[in-house]
Amino acid sequence: MDGVNGMVWPRFTKGALMVFRRDFLSWVKYYKSSVLLNFGEPLTNLLALGFGLGAYVTKMSGDPFVDFIGPGLLAVTAMNAVTFDMSFEAYDRLNENGIYLSMITAPLHPAEIVGGEYLWEACRSLLYGLVFLVVLLPLGIVHSWWALLLPLPLLVTGMLFAGPALWVATAAKNHEQLFYYFTLVVTPMFMFSGVFFPLAHLPVVIRDLILLTPLVHVVNLTRALILGQFPPTLWQDILWIVGYTILFMALPGRRLSRRLTD
Amino acid sequence: MTTNAPTTIANPSVPATPAVAVSARGLTKQFGNFEAVAGMDFDVYEGECFGLLGPNGAGKSTTIRMICCLTARTAGSLTVLGEPAAPGQRTIKGQLGVVSQEDYLDPALTVRENIEIHGRFYGQSPEVAALRATELLEFMQLDGKTNEQVRSLSGGMRRRLVIARALMGRPRLLVLDEPTTGLDPQARILVWRKVRELKAEGVTVLLTTHYMDEAQRLCDRLVVIDHGRILESGRPRELILRLVGRECLECPDIAPAVVDGLTATLRPEDQAWHEWQSDSWVLFSPNLSAILDRWDTAGIAPSLAYRRPAGLEDVFLRLTGRELRD
Ligand SMILES: Nc1ncnc2c1ncn2[C@@H]1O[C@H](COP(=O)(O)OP(=O)(O)OP(=O)(O)O)[C@@H](O)[C@H]1O
Ligand SMILES: [Mg+2]
Repeated sequence: MDGVNGMVWPRFTKGALMVFRRDFLSWVKYYKSSVLLNFGEPLTNLLALGFGLGAYVTKMSGDPFVDFIGPGLLAVTAMNAVTFDMSFEAYDRLNENGIYLSMITAPLHPAEIVGGEYLWEACRSLLYGLVFLVVLLPLGIVHSWWALLLPLPLLVTGMLFAGPALWVATAAKNHEQLFYYFTLVVTPMFMFSGVFFPLAHLPVVIRDLILLTPLVHVVNLTRALILGQFPPTLWQDILWIVGYTILFMALPGRRLSRRLTD
Repeated sequence: MTTNAPTTIANPSVPATPAVAVSARGLTKQFGNFEAVAGMDFDVYEGECFGLLGPNGAGKSTTIRMICCLTARTAGSLTVLGEPAAPGQRTIKGQLGVVSQEDYLDPALTVRENIEIHGRFYGQSPEVAALRATELLEFMQLDGKTNEQVRSLSGGMRRRLVIARALMGRPRLLVLDEPTTGLDPQARILVWRKVRELKAEGVTVLLTTHYMDEAQRLCDRLVVIDHGRILESGRPRELILRLVGRECLECPDIAPAVVDGLTATLRPEDQAWHEWQSDSWVLFSPNLSAILDRWDTAGIAPSLAYRRPAGLEDVFLRLTGRELRD
């Protein structure tokens, strides 16, 4: 029997598309409050830090401070939109309202549920990322037509961060444990992934450690596309992103399977 | 599964062995060291309504979850609609409709969306799912609530919606885990009507309920289980006659001392058996008329006593005892 031994990869089937549809129908009802939640923080950061702190720190790596942090915050917005949904919401779907349990009474495999969630998170990341881009436009932060390529990394970023968050949701015993993921993983990543200051300012050991985490590479890529500046190491960032996305993809399947059929 | 080999000339008066929808042999489920289902053998025939009765914690839902391919069995064999049941078994699941004990409705979706999306999980086209949803909402008398959020429904309406959801996939086997808990009498009658209608269409129904009148009305055959084991099985009528007899005498609010006086007059040939059901003392015997005459003659007949047909509830209490389960 699958799901007990070995990896359970997501399945992108017709059933997965229906799980995606369910998420969309639900989002349509809640997007007003959820948009506020997801933009409030990065927007505050952008305005307070970009224009407040930016009055003192005028240049960062040769760019105006807002130009530097804007693209990074776009990546963070996409990550958060996905991470909140796949941790708190998915936890509730699994443990509180039984949405996943009702799904598997129909001929849906847990791997199709995971597949559907990934598809939806890819779209969420795209959606929230693009709206943030629209916010950056009038601020004059978008400098390059390369920004038109952003949908691609945004879709991938959604998949990338969905896996670990869903895994956390299947492992957590209560809501409090979900907060640990934010305090111990998401927030430190947010602070140290080159969103606010270049990694070059950090000791080599710490910098190498940070380069082992995923967000920094997404930040590098979005910044490159928005500012139109392509450092020679960008191909490495792309490799990291693709590698992590594939690596994390199989993370939650087995555990979700087990949780739904124990 | 045993079938009669056709070695002799078929006797037309003996009906052929009916096709089996569910067959369990030595079915066992353990949670750690605890045996929730402890070796059950039973068959559910196609087209019948089969009841699974038992006190709280008897193992009904666990058995049902194994049949619905929602959890794995620990031991034994379990065949559902000709396939071995196991989690992730699509062929079986595609032919099932499941009303789980918990509602598990989607609070973010409207009434209609809740069941339409379920139809889509079964692979239905948007048109088919929409049509079917309209039909079922109407039948369950929820058509006035179509676009409301689920959280605005009452408990009974929610339950009706869950039943509608289970019927979205046009099941061949309908599994109902306490479908009518929380329903008002009108809604229960509605559900009974639907179950009969489905049975007439050839759908097999597996039902658990704590309402003995419901089981007596709907079930062709049933098993009474406790502690994960089958205590008795048979047709409701046959179980009643065999285990408690045709009728009984119920004496509400009677003093134990008076009961002692009454039981002293019972004779072995009365084949009497009696018990307390809450504050009522109930006497079962095929010889009730003679016993009542005897009490009249002795002038000890209780002032308040109802003679009533014995029912499944009496069978249930006799088999499973009167202690409350936690
Ligand atoms: N996932 C589980 N883990 C551990 N024990 C469980 C689990 N599910 C059920 N049990 C135990 O198995 C036993 C049977 O439970 P089950 O839900 O099958 O009872 P039931 O007959 O449906 O009862 P009720 O009438 O209250 O619904 C109970 O003692 C219950 O505590
Ligand atoms: Mg139960």
